[in-house]
Amino acid sequence: MTSTTVNRILIGLLIVVGTVWIFLPIVMATLWSLVDPSEPWAYPDAFPRKLSFVRWADLWNTTQLPTAMRNSYLLAPMAGAATLVFASPTAYAFGRRQFRGKAVAQVAALLPIVLPGFVIAIFFSSILIQLNIFNRYLSILLGHTILFLPYAIRILTVSFAQVPQDLIDAARDLNANALVRFRSIYLPLMIPGYVASFIIIVILSIEEFAVAFVVGAPDFTTIPTILYSNLSGYSFVRPNAAVISLILVIPNIIALVFLERLLGSVEVGSGTKG
Amino acid sequence: MWPRIRESLITIALLLPGLGLILGFMSVVLYFAISQSFGQFNFAGDDNWTMEHWAKILDDPALWASFRYSLRIATLSAVLSVSVAYPIAMWIRKPFRGSTSVGVSVKIPYLIPGLVAAFLYVNMVSFNGILNHIFLALGVTDEPFRMQNDDKAIGVVILQVWKQTPLALLLLAGAVRAISDDVIAAARDLGAGMWTRFTDIILPLTLQALQAAMIIIFIGAAGDFAFQTIAGPRSPFSMAQLMFITQSTYSDSNYAAVIGVLLMVMALIGALGLAGLTQLAVNRGRYQ
Repeated sequence: MTSTTVNRILIGLLIVVGTVWIFLPIVMATLWSLVDPSEPWAYPDAFPRKLSFVRWADLWNTTQLPTAMRNSYLLAPMAGAATLVFASPTAYAFGRRQFRGKAVAQVAALLPIVLPGFVIAIFFSSILIQLNIFNRYLSILLGHTILFLPYAIRILTVSFAQVPQDLIDAARDLNANALVRFRSIYLPLMIPGYVASFIIIVILSIEEFAVAFVVGAPDFTTIPTILYSNLSGYSFVRPNAAVISLILVIPNIIALVFLERLLGSVEVGSGTKG
Repeated sequence: MWPRIRESLITIALLLPGLGLILGFMSVVLYFAISQSFGQFNFAGDDNWTMEHWAKILDDPALWASFRYSLRIATLSAVLSVSVAYPIAMWIRKPFRGSTSVGVSVKIPYLIPGLVAAFLYVNMVSFNGILNHIFLALGVTDEPFRMQNDDKAIGVVILQVWKQTPLALLLLAGAVRAISDDVIAAARDLGAGMWTRFTDIILPLTLQALQAAMIIIFIGAAGDFAFQTIAGPRSPFSMAQLMFITQSTYSDSNYAAVIGVLLMVMALIGALGLAGLTQLAVNRGRYQ
């Protein structure tokens, strides 16, 4: 058997596994979101008897969903922007400066990823109560910014390191100050890195559950917290959960396409594999 | 002398907004957690330094059941995720027609939020789920199975593997790709079969990526709340779930802090222990 044949067989296998693993679950969720309330979908029916968009309209009109979406979509870009601003100087230091203890500092920057998110969320919420801080939006924004800083720092460190030194030297020879150097050399070359970090943080922030749930509950809802309340225990409403799940997933799949291109170009620029 | 101090000050100033914010926040959280577990920040009564909340763990079988449970789920999830990711990483090591699409499609679960993943899973295995319909159609069973919230927590482990394999693949694919063809060709010339090439060359050369993947997956699974509450067994609780319930339902924030600290210690020591054991196993397998 040639390796092409083996690859064809393996790809065929992957398509079968992928169908069960990814495609079927999403089709099931889509079907559930379209179940008409007048004709419940129950055993032994393999398919819903009647399909409609009634659930979508109901959720939109009668629940907190529009508020939750507004909260999530307002929060995520702000978290993205704040994270990029706070991450940039550190990423510059990691990517372009030599200093003692750099390796330790780079590991320490991963702390928010290394500690269980739910534990951080619970104590963060207790600290906020101790400090009498009750602004949910700002609290969650702060939480998300810190939780996602490691991702932005890592991506931007690579981006900063990739800017060719001779360009910077040339600019310096032409008497460009730090601000001009950043604007005319770093920034244009780092746009893929910045956009990729921004998209990743927006995705992470929209889907973040622990902090949004523990700090925000009960009055500040985001899309994941409203999904959770439709998923857990006795309040499990399958068609509603299906609608909210799809609302969460669809933008991510669109973002995946952009990300592949951006991260692809970051990797190509680095000249290293993987 | 002065230029050097100036350079150091610039470095510190650069690190402050990013790394400084992370370290500041994390130290406050850790300080709060530890001191609360010793009786401080007591919401229900007076603050006093005491070991009484820690003493309770000696006689709390439910806590240890959760501890063992989370430890088991975390270990299983980490080991299974990398076991699924390795063959794929080796397969797409050399580009071929369609290898990029394979890489992208395998990464999809990473972009599906955990809660949505849990919902998708529950839908598949529910009483009226598609799996039961398939079993019925194939004649495997006459009656639908009850697979949701199974007692062995198979659902939770499947979800962890589903969600974390892409991360493992991301780390492992890069490491596997970095091994030069010459090394593998040389091993093949010396008569090493596929399995020997894997244990003696690929595993040792990708050990760091393997350890990194296992550490991240282990910690994530040890602290899981969402998969557990939606797809997990009704008992025991996971550590994060137990901590949350202790805090919100029993309003015992000091004991919740004890559980939180225990969970952090377990996640860190467990993850590092697993990484260490992996290193031992890889080195051992190599010299045999």
